[in-house]
Amino acid sequence: MRGDTGTRIFRSTVIAIAFIAAWMTTAFAHAASIQETIQQVQPKMVKIYGAGGLRGLEAYQTGFLISPEGHVLTIFSHVLDSDSITAVLADGRKFEAKLLGADPHLEIAVLKIEAADLPYFDLSQAAKPAVGERILAFSNVFGVAMGDEPVSVQRGTISVATRLEARLGAFETTYRGQVYVLDVTTNNSGAAGGALVTRRGELLGMLGKELRNATNNTWLNYAIPIPMLLRSVEEIRAGKFVAQRDTETVRKPDRPLNLSMLGISLVPDILERTPPYVDHVRPGSPAEKNGIQPDDLVLLLGDRLVQSCKGLIADLEVIDENDEVKLTLLRGQDLVEVTLRRDTKETPTTTPRQP
Amino acid sequence: MIICNKAFTVQADVGCDFWKRRTVFLAVFRLFVLASVWMSLFCSHRVLCGAEAELDAAERAAIASAVERVVPSVVRIETIGGLEHVGQMALGTGATTGLIVDPDGYIISSAFNFINKPSSILVRLADGSRKPATLVATDHARMLVLLKIETSKALPVCEIVPSSEMRIGQWAIAVGRTFDGVQPNMTVGILSAVGRIWGKAIQTDAVVSPNNYGGPLIDIRGHVLGVIVPLSPEATDEVAGYEWYDSGIGFAIPADHIQKILPRLKKGENLEPGILGIGIKGPNLYTGEPVIAACPPRAPAFAAGVRSGDRVVEVDGRKIRRAVEIREEIGRCYAGDTMHLVLERDKKTVVADIELAAKLDPYQQGFLGILPMRDNVGEGVVVRYVYPESPAAKAGIVPGDVLVALDEKPISDRFDLRESLVGCEAGESIALEFRHGDVAHSAKIALASLPEGLPPAELPAAHGKAPAKGKRASLAVGAMPFKIAEYSNDAWIYVPRSCQEGIAPGILMELHGPNGFDWQELLAVWKPICDRFDLILIAPKANDTAQWMPHELGLIDRLLADVMEKYSADPTRVVLFGQDSGGAMAFAAASHNRDAIRGVAAVDAMPMNPLGENEPLNRLAIYSANAKKSRIAASIDAAIAAMRAVKIPVTVKPLGEIPRAMNSEELMELARWIDMLDQI
Repeated sequence: MRGDTGTRIFRSTVIAIAFIAAWMTTAFAHAASIQETIQQVQPKMVKIYGAGGLRGLEAYQTGFLISPEGHVLTIFSHVLDSDSITAVLADGRKFEAKLLGADPHLEIAVLKIEAADLPYFDLSQAAKPAVGERILAFSNVFGVAMGDEPVSVQRGTISVATRLEARLGAFETTYRGQVYVLDVTTNNSGAAGGALVTRRGELLGMLGKELRNATNNTWLNYAIPIPMLLRSVEEIRAGKFVAQRDTETVRKPDRPLNLSMLGISLVPDILERTPPYVDHVRPGSPAEKNGIQPDDLVLLLGDRLVQSCKGLIADLEVIDENDEVKLTLLRGQDLVEVTLRRDTKETPTTTPRQP
Repeated sequence: MIICNKAFTVQADVGCDFWKRRTVFLAVFRLFVLASVWMSLFCSHRVLCGAEAELDAAERAAIASAVERVVPSVVRIETIGGLEHVGQMALGTGATTGLIVDPDGYIISSAFNFINKPSSILVRLADGSRKPATLVATDHARMLVLLKIETSKALPVCEIVPSSEMRIGQWAIAVGRTFDGVQPNMTVGILSAVGRIWGKAIQTDAVVSPNNYGGPLIDIRGHVLGVIVPLSPEATDEVAGYEWYDSGIGFAIPADHIQKILPRLKKGENLEPGILGIGIKGPNLYTGEPVIAACPPRAPAFAAGVRSGDRVVEVDGRKIRRAVEIREEIGRCYAGDTMHLVLERDKKTVVADIELAAKLDPYQQGFLGILPMRDNVGEGVVVRYVYPESPAAKAGIVPGDVLVALDEKPISDRFDLRESLVGCEAGESIALEFRHGDVAHSAKIALASLPEGLPPAELPAAHGKAPAKGKRASLAVGAMPFKIAEYSNDAWIYVPRSCQEGIAPGILMELHGPNGFDWQELLAVWKPICDRFDLILIAPKANDTAQWMPHELGLIDRLLADVMEKYSADPTRVVLFGQDSGGAMAFAAASHNRDAIRGVAAVDAMPMNPLGENEPLNRLAIYSANAKKSRIAASIDAAIAAMRAVKIPVTVKPLGEIPRAMNSEELMELARWIDMLDQI
């Protein structure tokens, strides 16, 4: 009986060890906890000091290491507008940083400090967040961290991965592209250039400058995804940087379309936001041929919502006079879609082009 | 012993085998211990971390699937046209969020999203299709709107969490659809509180902002807790609560409440906050006893039999211990709802069923119908004049009588009586004790409303021969310039000699019209009037003679304050007088400084902005002198009606056909009107 007991103990012990070992392996295979992530990320963060003070602008921002030999990715701002930029690492070491180059369009810059064997983020390994991704944001927000103090960590969730609306004036930034919107107040003074990581420590993006959403008068908390920055960073590091042309910003054609070319006149623009009701349709015009009627309300130009007479006129300015446009109209309670273009045979409303 | 020995042998025998095995066991045990130590040294926290990482992954998956469940019911709302500003706040044009609450195409959203009063509304469904929407109804108490779109197929509706199942601290995820519209946006937090904003809302720390107002607040299963709205405990305007965006304090209206009111909203019924019309005793709502301090006849509670002094015992089945609980119960209800009150009055139980009102009639000051003597001789108020047909006249009060007690409380002077009557509105009854000669009388008197008639041709003197307060010979009297250091404006005053005898003067400030004025001419007209009626005349000059500027309201305030203090003026008789633009400025000043100004006398002028209702402590009376052919005669008539609607008494003086200045006889009559402003 006792022998059996001993064997059983022996067996169960072996099983227990095997089980614990297996569990351990799983534990190793799994990514780290928040505490571990923080420990692992902090040494890669850089506190950056430079120009400021004028007009109450802060003289500090955040960056992070992207190579073992001391390349630092940060935001391109007035702080870097100085002969002397100081980078302070997590261990308190202070370096004079050199501005390698900047992309004024993406508003990013790469700095270089003379050091080696530094912990760093590998930009090519940047992760893509899942829906509901829980995140950590690292930045020297309000410049609270000094010397060897670690930068501040905030936790939150990615609200949505979206694009900044390209409509002029919606966001006061030159950046037009994907952003991760966050549900935590990350984007305050000094935070720009900070790192956004998953709870497992994978780099997701770089915190952007303070940005107001003019469409609803709220402050936007966001980070720019690393893949959006990759090419510019590589080119800056290779020393062959050419400021990236913006393929997404709206370029005005030389000869834009206008409503009179289509044969539409709107109601007089007298209110703050006069709804773009059609007042009159010129006989024989493309508008009439396509069945546009007085009192139709222009709702969409292409896929873009038109909110006022002024808005419609402004939006047409980015369309070439010879391009086709799709208008969605509200007639009573029905939506009517019309695709039309300028009728070149009709009496031209602009002087013909010189050959 | 043998037994023992045998037993031992047997044991030893077995033991031998046992020990062999034990060695193995020990070896294994040691290994285990070593392994444990090694593990604990090197990876015990990693084991923990693993659990945490799994939790993290599980959280992420749970959030994603919860959001996924409601996404088909979350719509994006776009608006066309509308205002750019509401008050000081610039309004955005950005997209907002709504939640489908009925398969037939009904969508709930936050009223905040429609304060710009857009001319058209478009709803973009989860599948990307756009539909025009109409606004069906608004819940003004909870700042929700109901929209309707036409749909041929049934739209998806979410499951809801009943209020009774909500647990503070549970997950709460706020969902909006305001960015590109393809992906919903979410913020994550917990349910922070229930029963907020007088029982109307639940609270979350998930950040809420215009990015998700109108969207659902959901639990971790994807069931709807409520619909997100900006709210504020005190302010009730349509942008109240917006200033708290992204602060960690966010509100939502519980989903089961929305279900309850949906049938009413669908019928197009706008819901308003309900008003009971009672005032509660004491300054602190939270510690105060639930005793009703005021219940004016215009209140719905009064009509249902509630009286001041009643103690509220129960509201709609809830036992009431503190004043604040009554307010919470009112907060839960709408205008048109009926509240069941159990009250205690004189140790007896009284029951009242009250239909809440959307609006109360404005406050209407009660009026006894006397003018007091201004020289105070001992206790009580000596009657100077009795208005014909007034409640006082009907009660048999005649000039010379002394009013001694109101509702069993002795009256010390005319200011005391005036103040005591503040809470008594027209229609309410008071118990008055008065003395006629040596005979004491008492009467129950129903108060009337403030009079609007022109003054009588002759008034008895306001004070006797002996001055009340002793002489003040050092006071400067007569005509003189009067300057306020911070203002470059010129101003003059005329102070009657009676001020030196300790008689408190009234104040008349004349605000000139577009042609300015000549001080000597003005003085010639007013001096005899001022002397007779104890009035100080103040005449400031606008910086630009042609027009008064808004910043000059400050000058008027300062002139009044300085003169009132220096000459101990009677606060019940402070009047601004002006013709045309001067009259408009007088109205503006009165509206700006209700604390000091008791009357406006305007010739062919009207207020640019409507005046608020008459205030109990800061009464205002209007004297409106107009010519039939005044350029703005029609507007003046409308303005008079508007002022009367808010229970500000307006005395109308016709000035014939053609617009003109008032003559000296008419000014004398105006002075008598001013002289009667200390009416009680």
